[in-house]
Amino acid sequence: MPLVSFVVKKESYSDKITPMNEQALITDAQGGDLDAFNTLILHYQDSVFNTALRILGDEDQAADASQEAFISAFKSISSFRGGSFKGWLMRTVTNACYDELRRQKRRPTTPLEPDTEDGEEMDSPRWLADPNMTPDQKAEADEVEHAIQHCLNNLPLEFKTVVVMADIQGMDYTEVAASVRVPLGTIKSRLARARLRLRECLQGFAELLPASYRLEDGINVS
Amino acid sequence: MNQRDLELLSAYLDGQLKPSESARLETRLQTDSQLASVLTDLRATRNLLRKLPARKAPRNFTLTRKMVGQNPPLPRAYPWFRFASALATLLLFFSFGVNTVGRQMASQASGFGMGGGGGAGEESTELFSAQEAPAAAATEAPAETEAPILEMAPMPTQMSTEAADAARIVDTPAAKNTGEAENAVTEDQVQSPAPLVPSTWQIALAVIAIGGVLFMMLVRQLSARRWK
Repeated sequence: MPLVSFVVKKESYSDKITPMNEQALITDAQGGDLDAFNTLILHYQDSVFNTALRILGDEDQAADASQEAFISAFKSISSFRGGSFKGWLMRTVTNACYDELRRQKRRPTTPLEPDTEDGEEMDSPRWLADPNMTPDQKAEADEVEHAIQHCLNNLPLEFKTVVVMADIQGMDYTEVAASVRVPLGTIKSRLARARLRLRECLQGFAELLPASYRLEDGINVS
Repeated sequence: MNQRDLELLSAYLDGQLKPSESARLETRLQTDSQLASVLTDLRATRNLLRKLPARKAPRNFTLTRKMVGQNPPLPRAYPWFRFASALATLLLFFSFGVNTVGRQMASQASGFGMGGGGGAGEESTELFSAQEAPAAAATEAPAETEAPILEMAPMPTQMSTEAADAARIVDTPAAKNTGEAENAVTEDQVQSPAPLVPSTWQIALAVIAIGGVLFMMLVRQLSARRWK
């Protein structure tokens, strides 16, 4: 039985909004039509929430950041001048996440990671697994997810944003570059380095990973 | 392996290299096992990330009009009513201020007049000097007519007689009456000076201000009800 049995959700509503009526909805929303904007929200809310979740690593904070992002997006939708609406929304939600992280810095809270006996941060986030989820497979899958989230949390913010957009949200380089407002070359560089760091971090969770995802030791990048 | 190779491998993984760059990298991958190993690792890492389960949003993030501070559409004339009401309120307060200041200035002016200002003041100054004259004359006269005083004690000097006459003129009932009448007019003016802004104007301004506010409240309620 595979250790990881993620079910990748496909966007079931993709047939509801076509690029053509998306543009019409955006135009209506720019004219102050809140219902049109709410239709767009229903279409993109899962993507926006997942982006916030992977950047912040906390569901409640991610929900708050998503809500803030949509409010901010509606208020500034007149500034949307075409291009990828998803990319524009992603920029809004990453900004909301940055604001949330800045707030956290101002009011630091107790870290979720427990310390080991040596006083160092515990590597494995197994303790984060929901105790109510009894099926082994789900628990293991959750552990892998937590391991990845742990490694994402350890990335610098600019790397994390790029890797979440490109690898988790499946956005292409130009969309990511437009969202983050940095040159394409910087996106390539950040993504490569982020993947390398993630790889190094995930090596610490080798026993959790399925054989096909096992990583080889020792890459020295100069 | 250097940073440049890492970026090339990462971009190659996403199909972001030019065909010529891809071909060159593929040639290297066939000979360089470490490069191929890194590519495998990067692919595995990317696949792990891509297979992260997409979480469903815990709730709908749809917005309400209150959340975005959206107000019901108001009639085009609404801003004019708001402006008129605000202006009327401002003018009303200004009129009260003008009337208060005007009243104070009038009372100050009349107070100064009672102490010897204006036309009546000139008269009284003349009268006052006329009244002082006998005293001055009386003090000087005895020196000049010291001997005659002893001789003609009952006869006053020429100057003191004239001064006494002048003093008598002031004490005449006619003069007294004239002075009282002037004083009475001045007091009346002090007690009730005419306001600079008539009260009818103030009432009109108050009606416009209050009426405007009530009308705006009504319009807002109607618009909100229609909007819902």
